[in-house]
Amino acid sequence: MVGYRFRSPLGLAMSLGSAKSGFGHWWTERVTAVALIPLGVWFAASLIAHSGSNYEAFIGWMGSPITAVLMILLLITLFWHIALGLQVAIEDYVHSGTKIWLLLITHFLCFALAVGGIVATLRIAIGVWTAT
Amino acid sequence: MEHLSNKHTRPLSPNIQIYRPQLTSVLSIVNRITGVFLSACAVVLVVWLIAAASGREAYSRFHDCIASWPGQFFLLASTFAFFLHLCGGIRHLVWDTVRGFELRQIYISGWIVVATSVVLTLACWLASLLIARQV
Amino acid sequence: MAKANTFIITSSDQVSRRTILKRFPIPRNFGVPNGSQIEPGRTWTAPEGATRTKQFEVYRYNPVSGENPHLDLFEVDLDDCGPMVLDALIWIKNKVDPTLTFRRSCREGVCGSCAMNMDGTNWLACTRFIEETDSPTRIYPLANMRIIKDLVPDLTHLYAQYELIEPWLQTKTSDPDRERLQAPEDRKKLDGYYECILCFCCTSGCPSHWWNGDRFLGPAVLLQAWRWLADSRDEATGRRLDTLEDPFRLYRCHTILNCTRTCPKGLNPGKAIAEIKKRIADRRS
Repeated sequence: MVGYRFRSPLGLAMSLGSAKSGFGHWWTERVTAVALIPLGVWFAASLIAHSGSNYEAFIGWMGSPITAVLMILLLITLFWHIALGLQVAIEDYVHSGTKIWLLLITHFLCFALAVGGIVATLRIAIGVWTAT
Repeated sequence: MEHLSNKHTRPLSPNIQIYRPQLTSVLSIVNRITGVFLSACAVVLVVWLIAAASGREAYSRFHDCIASWPGQFFLLASTFAFFLHLCGGIRHLVWDTVRGFELRQIYISGWIVVATSVVLTLACWLASLLIARQV
Repeated sequence: MAKANTFIITSSDQVSRRTILKRFPIPRNFGVPNGSQIEPGRTWTAPEGATRTKQFEVYRYNPVSGENPHLDLFEVDLDDCGPMVLDALIWIKNKVDPTLTFRRSCREGVCGSCAMNMDGTNWLACTRFIEETDSPTRIYPLANMRIIKDLVPDLTHLYAQYELIEPWLQTKTSDPDRERLQAPEDRKKLDGYYECILCFCCTSGCPSHWWNGDRFLGPAVLLQAWRWLADSRDEATGRRLDTLEDPFRLYRCHTILNCTRTCPKGLNPGKAIAEIKKRIADRRS
């Protein structure tokens, strides 16, 4: 903690003491990473499989319940992982008062994008289900 | 000699300006850069889903953007970034189990990450082109 | 002597002279605080009659002059000088410029005093052969340190961080009448950790410590923390883990592994930190 004119070296090093946390963030980053391995591979493989296919084929694929479930899982895990990862990057490089604002904006955006993606997925899927 | 006792006037020796890039630090920063880049790709993913949910017209407009040269370049970059981050992430998960910390293992796994990412990116695009031709 | 250069580095004494980039492609004084920007210095030519010479580019800073740090170029007569970089520095101090200031003591890689940045990586000047260095050899103090004079960094904060982890045996059980028992296999668990000489090559080479050194403990101190966590005789394990579990103190380590790459004693701080993280995970489930 800077701000005092005189502080012993040990006082500076100890600063505010240990937060006695940090494991949760580290662990959740790993859990979402592990989940993203199969989900990411599934997503990449699906995109390749749909190379050159048209709107109808794509909507038909999105309409399958399995696709919808996996896509929603992907969106939740992905944006959770992104929020945790960007938080670390911001904490690493930003030390001014803007840090807290950047963290807030990042987390809000991640949440909003995840919800937006889920609603879009549901709308496509429900559209297909009600049409058939 | 007032300033001798005042640490804050002491110069800071250079760090990143002089430190030699090594596979360890380079792959670490690559993992971070690809992570940030893939976050931007995730935004595009959501835009894509919303476009698809909005109807055929919005979807085809999005599709045209991706089919353009800059769009294709972005897609290629994101494929490579995806595999670099995926393979690098798996390497990190192995480290988290306290395995693979000998320098030899660190360097071998590092080069494997690079090579695998290149191969998988090329394989994906080849597969994609072949499938698109059949449709 | 270091082994041949390859893509696969197998031990930390291998110098990386064939790397594509000798430094990251950013301007030399980018992001450097005022008063720390490095300016050009002067050239000290070799004495007359010297036939085999090599150039050494050395970071200089004189706290009395009030000037910014600068780079001096020294020509060293290799026929008149020992084989190590430390020998070259001593030669310069004896023969050319007696004001050149650096720490040295054992000249055999045991004391850790002469840790500095040579050709862009941290190592001990006494165990780096001159012939393994680039031309000119680029010599800076340990990276990211407040500089007292020339190649002498201020290590006060690092020692304070070391004190923070309480690097001594702690027990609640009252002292035994004889020595504390430790099985040979338990003693072995300290191998690779107790040998640390606190030269801080690793901490000074850690990008995470560059950006957050005020709060992140850095590889040297965390390796020492693990040395006490791994000790079968210590009874403060839980409290030690409490002290470490913090988003900055411990978890700023992103397993970059510049530490393991650079340790002049061949130790593995990166692995020690992974052990600490695993131990914290273990007590959660």
